Amino acid sequence: MIELQEVSKTFPGAGAPAVKRVSLQVKSGEICALVGPSGCGKTTILRMINRLVEPSSGSVFIEGRDIMKANPDHLRRGIGYVIQQIGLLPHRTVEENVALVPRLLKWPEGRIKERIEELLEKVGLDTEEVRKKYPYQLSGGQMQRIGVARALAVDPPVMLMDEPFGAVDPIVRLRLQDEFLKLQQSFKKTICFVTHDMDEAMKMGDKIAIMNGGFLVQHGTPREILAQPANSFVQDLVGEDRGVKLLDLVRVETLMLPRETGTANGRSVQALDSAKKALEVMLEHNVDGVTVCREKQVVGILTWETIKTYVHQAGSEAGG
Amino acid sequence: MDSQLFLDTLLQRSPPHILEHARLVLVPLGLAVLLAFPIGVFLTRPQYRRYAGRVMAVLNAGQTVPPLAVIAVFLPFLGLGFRPAVIALTIYALLPIARNTIAGISSVSEDVKEAARGMGMTPWEVFTQVELLLGLPVIMVGIKTSAVLTVGTAVLAALVGGRGMGAVIFAGINFFRPELILAGTLIIGLMAIILERLLTLAEWFILPRHLR
Ligand SMILES: Nc1ncnc2c1ncn2[C@@H]1O[C@H](COP(=O)(O)OP(=O)(O)OP(=O)(O)O)[C@@H](O)[C@H]1O
Ligand SMILES: [Mg+2]
Repeated sequence: MIELQEVSKTFPGAGAPAVKRVSLQVKSGEICALVGPSGCGKTTILRMINRLVEPSSGSVFIEGRDIMKANPDHLRRGIGYVIQQIGLLPHRTVEENVALVPRLLKWPEGRIKERIEELLEKVGLDTEEVRKKYPYQLSGGQMQRIGVARALAVDPPVMLMDEPFGAVDPIVRLRLQDEFLKLQQSFKKTICFVTHDMDEAMKMGDKIAIMNGGFLVQHGTPREILAQPANSFVQDLVGEDRGVKLLDLVRVETLMLPRETGTANGRSVQALDSAKKALEVMLEHNVDGVTVCREKQVVGILTWETIKTYVHQAGSEAGG
Repeated sequence: MDSQLFLDTLLQRSPPHILEHARLVLVPLGLAVLLAFPIGVFLTRPQYRRYAGRVMAVLNAGQTVPPLAVIAVFLPFLGLGFRPAVIALTIYALLPIARNTIAGISSVSEDVKEAARGMGMTPWEVFTQVELLLGLPVIMVGIKTSAVLTVGTAVLAALVGGRGMGAVIFAGINFFRPELILAGTLIIGLMAIILERLLTLAEWFILPRHLR
């Protein structure tokens, strides 16, 4: 668990604080997506968690321990860190970059070699193809994968990821997000994930922490944020289409009316698809409902009425 | 032009002076590296960085004074001979080394240093394994510049009794023997080239593979 208590940071010479009295908890095994406009203090918060920046006031605890009591270099070796600009060492090969922290921790070479192979494979790279290459010989996507592999090297329970997929095109980004979420299902790491893209935050975050001008504006699950934006800033960030986004967060099987019998005539969607997918199918084919299947087996139906009611209820929770 | 005299100068008269000259180059160069490199490193540390401008201004000023004047300034204190020549040449060699040390280390990108620190490298590890290695090519350019500069400037040492190849060249000037001047200049040129090549070779061995 990562816990920030009333943390503030004023950089020397700066007029206003970059981070103002932020309190935040990231539970074990959860991803907290830190989102907000450029310059709102996201990177500063991450850097206060691994002591690259010392808080002006307040405290930070990792697994209940005050980080100010730890040796900063040892602390950092135990926290996976993916920096915003990737920051691979240009004079080291891919495998040397990935081996950085294991070497600092004096792992035996045999174990390091095994670990490198395992990691490169996990992040979806061809070990033999890339291990001897230098960073300048890699594509942006490959570099970001290696940035992630390097952070995972000693299997740290806590990870700080600063726009880890920021420097690639949208298609590669979607793939990296999916792959990472899949890894996280088994890793169950405690992660602070910075992004300035609300869609990415919705997708990656178990919780979302929205920042603006150094303040923490709202902290909650994606659904809470969509359903009850704390103020107009959050509302703007979430966008006009928050109803649709809510549907993206819920599976068809959750909303459908179960129906054991019948055939999949007309249009159908899969039970594990998002409700947004079902809506798209309805709109595209101008129908009022779709059949829900699990593989080929019909399990229910989802109607336009149900979707409308769901969005309306979720949206009005804010009022109530 | 007396080709016999030219050859005699080249092959018999000069060799002892070549060794003297080598000493007049290597000693000041070594001293300059020992002084200017740490100065350069200190001036890139966050806590001393603000002095960099002032120190470099002093070193720059030192560079604009003609070497002969530097030697003349030290004449009353140190007299004639090898030592004052070495001191003047050392002062002269400081600037390119200090300047390139600062430039080389500062050229290492903040992202890379932040990543190295963020992975848990100690400040010393960041300095030796990242900043120094990545800055080395630029630092070496400074050392090579100073080396070549010193090979030429060391000719003036002969004027204060410091000997070296200057003794041959100034003899040629005093006795109107162009053969001596020509032979002396040729040797100095060769020395400069050889020294530069040797330093490049040394650099090749220290540098990480992909920077070569
Ligand atoms: N080392 C520093 N010294 C002085 N000011 C700093 C320093 N680092 C950050 N700041 C300032 O603190 C504020 C917050 O910066 P920060 O890097 O945390 O923003 P961010 O939310 O990560 O932005 P981005 O999305 O652009 O990365 C900015 O105004 C920035 O100028
Ligand atoms: Mg940032």
